[in-house]
Amino acid sequence: MKALFSYLIFPGFLFSACVGLLACWVDRKVTARLQWRVGPPWYQNFLDIVKLFGKETILPEGAKLTFLLSPCLGLLSVALVATILGVGILSPAHSFMGDLIVVMYLLIIPAASLIIGAFSSRNPFASIGASREMKLILGYELPFILAVIAVIIKAKCAIKLGTIITCQMALGSYIASFSGALAFLAVIFCMQAKLGAVPFDLAESEQELMGGALIEYSGFPLAIFKLTKALMLYVMPLFLIVLFLGKDLSPLFLVAKYTGILVIIILIKNTNPRLRIDQALRFFWGPMTIIATLAVILALLGL
Amino acid sequence: MGDVVGKIREKFYGQIIEFEEKSERRIYIEFKPQDIPEAVKFVFRDLGCRFATATGTDTPQGIEILYHFSYDPRGEVVSLRALIPDRKNPQIQSIATIITGAEWIEREIWELLGVNFIGHPNLKHLLLIDDWPEGKHPLRHDHG
Amino acid sequence: MLLWPLSWLYWGYDMDLKTRALTKSLWAFHAATSPCNNCDIEVLDLFTPRHDVERFGITLVGSVRHADVLVVTGVPNYKTGERLKKLYGQAAKPCFVVAVGGCACGRILFQDSYNSPCPVDEIVPVDVYIPGCPPKPEAMIAGIMKLIKKVEGK
Repeated sequence: MKALFSYLIFPGFLFSACVGLLACWVDRKVTARLQWRVGPPWYQNFLDIVKLFGKETILPEGAKLTFLLSPCLGLLSVALVATILGVGILSPAHSFMGDLIVVMYLLIIPAASLIIGAFSSRNPFASIGASREMKLILGYELPFILAVIAVIIKAKCAIKLGTIITCQMALGSYIASFSGALAFLAVIFCMQAKLGAVPFDLAESEQELMGGALIEYSGFPLAIFKLTKALMLYVMPLFLIVLFLGKDLSPLFLVAKYTGILVIIILIKNTNPRLRIDQALRFFWGPMTIIATLAVILALLGL
Repeated sequence: MGDVVGKIREKFYGQIIEFEEKSERRIYIEFKPQDIPEAVKFVFRDLGCRFATATGTDTPQGIEILYHFSYDPRGEVVSLRALIPDRKNPQIQSIATIITGAEWIEREIWELLGVNFIGHPNLKHLLLIDDWPEGKHPLRHDHG
Repeated sequence: MLLWPLSWLYWGYDMDLKTRALTKSLWAFHAATSPCNNCDIEVLDLFTPRHDVERFGITLVGSVRHADVLVVTGVPNYKTGERLKKLYGQAAKPCFVVAVGGCACGRILFQDSYNSPCPVDEIVPVDVYIPGCPPKPEAMIAGIMKLIKKVEGK
């Protein structure tokens, strides 16, 4: 019963949906102010989701059941990640051995659900978007995993979120060391790609691919995809905070750190154009992997 | 404007019908329709002008087609004019074999003015729908 | 949903949450049926800092299936007319159509043209006409307000 409450309400689905939609609004508002515009009001994203629930859902011809199931899969897994992270932050003693690996696996599922949904749409634009997303996943997973390995090594090889948090509370944030700083740099860009934000929003590039992977979605499934995106915007910076900035997780500092990472995301988003897929792959398998490997080596050396 | 026009004048001395200098950097040179491919080859390949576009008009003397070439280093435009007197069945040699970029504009001139381009690889409708009635060319003065 | 009675209390009995959310978050798809592009430039002007339309919740979307409003510019000819009909069929209802510019409203000087069979409102049902050649962005915002009032009045 308590597990159901923490999955659905706090810190699971409902709480992270609200925070995530507000974070999406912050992104839109800051982008608008940077362009000297006014920007939408704070309840805009909530109204978008409500409006999408009220539109009809069109099933394209030949679409199988996966067309409707895949968005739900993505949403459920992100809500689970939000629950695990929330419980880990609130009471580090409750995390279980190996939950870090569970979180990393669950974080691939939203991107995979996008790919499955796009392929089941039977649309050539959607398949281009989905194949780009597949290649992007191959690109950013490597430096991401290497950077997380660096953190695990620094936490004395404990694959448990609670242990990582308590180690940081005792010894200091991992970002304050050389290996931690390098790993943080690698993870920032991997997070940008995981969130599907410019300069890595190839899968859903609006102007180029007419909506890309989401071209055939309308109404209820589209609302689920937008919610998944909002939840990812809540979950990913939280994951980063737990791994790298976990020294002081009292509510005030947590909000300040979350806002700081959100500012970094928005900054990178507004100052860069969109990359092509080969440029993105070269970026991830070149500089980012080198930085992440350096971080692992430095962590092994104890720096 | 000197050297481009001078070179054309000295190569095609006998074949040029008329020069017309419309303004300081635009000149119209009139040829017979049979001499157009040779002139186009010379202007495009040897002089290095860029093919800008082709235009067609229905005039009382016949159908007039202009090929506009731009000499980019100095911003000058040389237009080669061909007047086809036969209005029942106008024909001219296509330049799509020399300049691939002229394919579509010749399709457009064919479908709207009725000029048959001999040797064009793909003479189909471009802007109008495929089952447009035969023989009706909208930009002719005697249409509709 | 349990929000329906709350919205009933807030906005009165003649408007429900669905309509309210629809009017405050219109997603527009720009369908240009061979215009001269002046109207398209003015439509894009709406998203620039001077007449920022995103504060009303309106954004441009890439796919027709995400759209609530189909913004039509230009005179439909034989080729684009049938595609416009297909586009309207592909949009998820409720979807409204706004005809922007004199050409989309009544074809002005292209009425007797050889390539234009009928005006836009004989192909798709138009909700709001915004005349002008091209209409000023302020006129388009007034048209959007009329569309919102029309949707609320339904």
